[in-house]
Amino acid sequence: MRNALAIAAREFEEKRFVAYAAVAFAIVPFILSVIPGINGRSPQETIALSSLIFATGFGVALAVMSGASFVGRDLSDNRMSFYFSRPVASASIWFGKLTAGLLMVVGCFAVIIAPAWLVVGEFWKSFWSLTLAESTKYVLTIALALFLITHVISTFARSRSPLIVIDFAAAVVCGLAIRYLIVLLATGWAVEVMKWTATALALALAVGIVAGGAWQLERGRTDRRRNHLALSQFLWGTMAAALLLAAGYVGWVLSVTPGDLSIDFHATRSTSGPFAMITGRSPGRGDYHAGFLLNTDDGSSVRIGNLSAVVYTRDGRSVIVPRMEGGVANLWIYRRDLKKPIDIGLTVEAQGLFVSDDGGRVATLSSLNILSVYDVAQKRSLASVRLPDGRYMRAFFVSPDVVRLYLNTKEKLKIVELDVRVRGLRETGSLATATFARIYPDAPAAHMLVRPERGADVVTLNDARTGALITTLASGTQVKTARFLRDGRIAIVDGPDSATVLHILSAAGAPQRDIPLGPARSSIFVGDDGTRCVLAVETAAGVGQLIAVDLNRGVIAQRVDKVVWVPSGTLDPRPPIEPLRDVFYGDYSDRKNHIVSWNPATGGKRRII
Amino acid sequence: MTSMTDNAIGICDLTVRYGRTLAVDQVSLSVAKGSVYALVGRNGAGKSSLVRCLLGEQKPEHGTSMLLGEDAWSHRAALMQRIGIVTEEADAPPEMKVSSIARFCSRLYDRWDQGSVETRLQTFGVPMSSRFGSLSKGQKKQVSLALALANSPELLVLDDPTLGLDVVARRSLFEEVIGDLADRGTTIFITTHDLSGVETFADRVGMMENGRLVLDEEVDALKSRFRRIRFATQPVAIDTAVLRTTVMRSWGAGAEAIVSNYDDLAFERMRSASNIGAAEVEAMSLEEIFIAISGGKS
Repeated sequence: MRNALAIAAREFEEKRFVAYAAVAFAIVPFILSVIPGINGRSPQETIALSSLIFATGFGVALAVMSGASFVGRDLSDNRMSFYFSRPVASASIWFGKLTAGLLMVVGCFAVIIAPAWLVVGEFWKSFWSLTLAESTKYVLTIALALFLITHVISTFARSRSPLIVIDFAAAVVCGLAIRYLIVLLATGWAVEVMKWTATALALALAVGIVAGGAWQLERGRTDRRRNHLALSQFLWGTMAAALLLAAGYVGWVLSVTPGDLSIDFHATRSTSGPFAMITGRSPGRGDYHAGFLLNTDDGSSVRIGNLSAVVYTRDGRSVIVPRMEGGVANLWIYRRDLKKPIDIGLTVEAQGLFVSDDGGRVATLSSLNILSVYDVAQKRSLASVRLPDGRYMRAFFVSPDVVRLYLNTKEKLKIVELDVRVRGLRETGSLATATFARIYPDAPAAHMLVRPERGADVVTLNDARTGALITTLASGTQVKTARFLRDGRIAIVDGPDSATVLHILSAAGAPQRDIPLGPARSSIFVGDDGTRCVLAVETAAGVGQLIAVDLNRGVIAQRVDKVVWVPSGTLDPRPPIEPLRDVFYGDYSDRKNHIVSWNPATGGKRRII
Repeated sequence: MTSMTDNAIGICDLTVRYGRTLAVDQVSLSVAKGSVYALVGRNGAGKSSLVRCLLGEQKPEHGTSMLLGEDAWSHRAALMQRIGIVTEEADAPPEMKVSSIARFCSRLYDRWDQGSVETRLQTFGVPMSSRFGSLSKGQKKQVSLALALANSPELLVLDDPTLGLDVVARRSLFEEVIGDLADRGTTIFITTHDLSGVETFADRVGMMENGRLVLDEEVDALKSRFRRIRFATQPVAIDTAVLRTTVMRSWGAGAEAIVSNYDDLAFERMRSASNIGAAEVEAMSLEEIFIAISGGKS
């Protein structure tokens, strides 16, 4: 310690001219502030701005120059024996020189900035979003990092050893490994974990350089090549160990299974197929969000990116998964009869994505409002058109060749169809609408739509292609929702919140059966299997319930209280082709945080996560 | 023969290699406490590499180097309290004043005689206020020597200390300083080209050639076995089984031979048996012996 301080004092004495220069730079801002023409808007601003610039420039330049010379120059000039021929340990030489170098950088920055701070206070905040303390922290962190890095480069370069090629290769390997880890974490939006990992690796680098410096002098002493070798071995050894640890941690973070997810999870469930998607976080894994595609037929799961925007096909047999890479998505299709997914070969922007009933065709909507239709099997574009002005609302494949769109304009909702056979866009009709962005449920054959307007308290049956009114199904009955069932019948829920009723109507709108549902503030149709229909209702604020209604008997057959329905996430306004399967719901009671699969036919439950 | 504990320096099987170049090749030598050892050799012979290993500044590829009974590499810092060093190249920071260097060094040693530093530099005529970088090569050596002696070292290691010194300073160094220290029992290890300077006080001499220690002998013994013999006539037939001839060359009308195992009786027997004729036998200086051993190419 005593010897290290003696060496530090010697270094200060040798470089005291640097302190004189810092004092000069501390005075300059005050001189500038009184020179007419260059003193800016106010003397305070001139002093604050110029002192910060001088302190930053001086500190960074000094860090680079000192780092490059404080050991490297002595080695290359064969002057290190001056220390090694004295009764001084290698560590004392290193830490004495290091302390002097670091304190010199910090001290000179302080010498330049302190007088200005005493005069102008926190004036910096008027033109700089950071406080002086924050600015100082960032500048000094950068300066000290540069100091250490330039020491390494200087030691390597001044040795004139061919070993520098290996160092370069090691640096590239480290860079690639770090990039790989970051990319892996980025797929799970793990910004926090990335910060931890980056901080840990930066600390490892700093430790590698600081401890490596002591090691290089202990092993290499006066020989610059052996110094290079020792530093190289220590630094890259430390980085390799740190990267292995980081890789181990990242590997553990990434090894999360669906059963581990218990925080902040989100799920969607194919209404009529075996697929479901779950994303969420796991304790100890920071903000890493994992995404899984589950197949409830065989209980298997595969990792997918953390995107909830998977699109289930209407036939329940396939799901399209966008894999995000650099702001765009590569589309993959998973089919229930295939073990491996298929790369569709499409790279699209992560917005509007629509799939035909069997997944054979895909339509995308770009940010330039261009709708394109692709054939998945042939991997080629079938048609591409620019949509007319207006806010996009909803689109779906009426048939493999026709995409229908509802476009919302100021005056009305336009109904437009794109026929890929003629590659033309045609407006087929319109609907006057008082509200924006409503989904109007279509009939299975897409020839009619029901139009529940809760505000106007009316449900109408319209021609789905032209928008023409066919008949009014209900009016003044406190309409809550309406939907086509798979067999083409129409289901409407209305009535006061305390006593809602499910009305089953024929496809033409003739009433068939009324089924009391009990209290419900709102309700959503989940699906039906021909004999029963499942609804998610909100009985009180924030209190959900799933009910299975026996359509033949006209009674509620099954009920699950205090649950949150896991939605289907489907964008298609028509009912699914296949019958309703088990329904997923979230059970958050008693801090359980579970997702449960519920069979509406039997009432059986199975915990998924 | 001295035991290891009596040795100030003990080098065993020391090997230093730079890439494919073998700088020191399995050198072993020892220096008894209180003696003066002169290591000579041509430039590039491996002396400096050996000295760096000796001082614990460089780890040898193989072998050990003991200083005052302790391993030089492992105990370098502690050993330096007891050792004075003058390196081949002046290594003090050039920006520092001589007084600052002395002050810095004084903080590092348990024992430090600042007065002796000032006195010696005054004797050498080196101002304390001078910047080290502004001094001549000889003055830098003198500063290094003054600093090396300030801790009253048990062992003084001098790596070519006369390099850059003028004749007067060189004489002063050898006769007044080193001679005095040797008289006081300080062990001295010196590498030098100035063989005439060390001849008077060196107890033992070693010679390196191409990394190998080709000679390691008491000075008196060495000088007693080397002789220059000048013959008045030619041809000369020397029985090399009796007298090992290192050099044989023409000398005027006759011939000159340098033998490395001279013995008066053996020479007289050979001369009478071979009818050689008139011959003059001369003792040789260390420098002459060095030139003879190194092939006269120095």
